[in-house]
Amino acid sequence: MQSGQKEAVGLAAGESWEAIHQTLERSHRSLYLAGTASILLLWGVLTAVYFIVTFAMGELAPEFVAEYPWYHGPVWAVLGPLGMIGSSIIGHRAGERQAGGAVARNAGIRVFLYWLAVAATAALLPGVAGIWNSEQADHIPYTVLGVIFLGWVLFGILFRPALAVVGAALAVAVLVPYYLAGDLSGLISGLAVLVVCVLGAAWIRRSGRL
Amino acid sequence: MSKDEIVLDETIHQPTRLRIMTMLVSQEGGGRLAYGFIQQTLELTGGNLTTHLRRLEDAGFLETSKVFENSKPRTWISATESGRRAYGGYLDNLRKALDWPPPT
Repeated sequence: MQSGQKEAVGLAAGESWEAIHQTLERSHRSLYLAGTASILLLWGVLTAVYFIVTFAMGELAPEFVAEYPWYHGPVWAVLGPLGMIGSSIIGHRAGERQAGGAVARNAGIRVFLYWLAVAATAALLPGVAGIWNSEQADHIPYTVLGVIFLGWVLFGILFRPALAVVGAALAVAVLVPYYLAGDLSGLISGLAVLVVCVLGAAWIRRSGRL
Repeated sequence: MSKDEIVLDETIHQPTRLRIMTMLVSQEGGGRLAYGFIQQTLELTGGNLTTHLRRLEDAGFLETSKVFENSKPRTWISATESGRRAYGGYLDNLRKALDWPPPT
């Protein structure tokens, strides 16, 4: 073999090896991202509903809200399971459209466990932070949502940078009104979350690979 | 054995076909993949993907099945046993080519 040919074979072999690794990474990433845009949209709508409902309760029944500072809990007790069931159905269907059998199931289980860990952290953190009491109950939803948005950012860093940007935008949409908008913060946060989710989902869909 | 004797299967040793076979063979549980999923993941045009799939199918490395699911046509692709063996052999030879000369 001529020396030039030797180099060509070596280079091709190296390129092949790199192509294999890139393909494996891309393939797994695509499976983990199945249905993400729709799931993001679903949670955006649910979070907006939560903010608008609790804002309306504060405006229409201030005595009730003052007497029962835990009123956020029952709202999420309804919205949370709806979101989890909806996300599972969307993710499962999207996965089944991409790959059959064990492949889609295993990817779905991993994504589900990731979000279960994020949700468990979000639920436990207020207790650890010492705000699980009547006086500070209003802060609990923001702490929980902050962890969920961090979950989006981490998921995006792992699988798709656009999701990290959306996660950061969601945190801004909720936390900026919380600190600056006073009594209107719930309403503004709700609308801002909805706008971010609609724009984010459209952006992710348009840029493909979901 | 000399490096000249390391033969990489020419059907697989092509960038697009190598990527297709990698996707198919790496699926846990020997699963199948949707045509659209392969096309989207590898960012290929339909014509390009079809050409390479046909070449791999002619070599007996994969099989395709067209089905109707919820009234929509869907094409599933899966690697055959022969395709898995050929890919395994390709990887072995690729490792040898990369590690050449072998440690003594």
